Amino acid sequence: MIHDYLFLSILLFCLGILGVISRRNIFTVFMSVELMLNAANLAFIALARLHENMDGHVLAMLVMAVAAAEAALALAVVILLHKHTGKVDTNVFSLLKG
Amino acid sequence: MLSQWLFYAFATLSVLSALGLILSRHPMNGAMWFVITLVSLAGLYSLLSASLLFALQLIVYAGAIMSLILFIIMFLNIQPADIPVENGRWTYLLGGCLAVVPIGLLLMRIVRSLPGGEVDIVGNGFGKVKSVGLVLFRDWLLPFEIVSILLLVALVGAVVLAGKKEMNQ
Repeated sequence: MIHDYLFLSILLFCLGILGVISRRNIFTVFMSVELMLNAANLAFIALARLHENMDGHVLAMLVMAVAAAEAALALAVVILLHKHTGKVDTNVFSLLKG
Repeated sequence: MLSQWLFYAFATLSVLSALGLILSRHPMNGAMWFVITLVSLAGLYSLLSASLLFALQLIVYAGAIMSLILFIIMFLNIQPADIPVENGRWTYLLGGCLAVVPIGLLLMRIVRSLPGGEVDIVGNGFGKVKSVGLVLFRDWLLPFEIVSILLLVALVGAVVLAGKKEMNQ
């Protein structure tokens, strides 16, 4: 039964990787990264339940805080890029090349 | 067995809405699908008797972070013409599947070698606010402080980045 949760977590993580690989819309890529973080959270909580140990819950809370910080910074960068180029295409990130 | 059926319902819902996220063309539709994923993940956390994480997932993730993302999507006022043309999307998706499926199968083999167990809702305060808080402030105090500094730095960085135009003038 606990294996089902871990399989679901693996499946969601792979879907997140697919979203990052196959999409060019910057918001979809960003939300796919969030999906991968959530899959990791699910694995943490399932294993915490398996071992009846609450360290996994604390780690999941820390991951949530990191995701919030990442969301604030990434969206600020998206706003800057949209101001410069008027696009939401990940290909405009190539202007960061040296 | 009710919890088994609930698990399958939430799992199907989360996988289908994750597919909707990575396949939908407009980011607004994708964000709406992603909210469904987050809410069904909160249901899975409650099945794993993580009641504090259940509340935090709903309040922080589905509430705060997703409303921030939705706010920015609406703020940028993306027209259908602004959405990037993705002609090679299905090709990239197939290629990505070729890359990702072996990794997923490897991880599944690793999971199968783990000891399994039945999960039921447990009592004795597992996952409640008090017990998680005790673990957080006893064993994880230093990581907690580091994360608070990280949040402060991210806050300052976001303000500096997003308000750059006004600072230059």
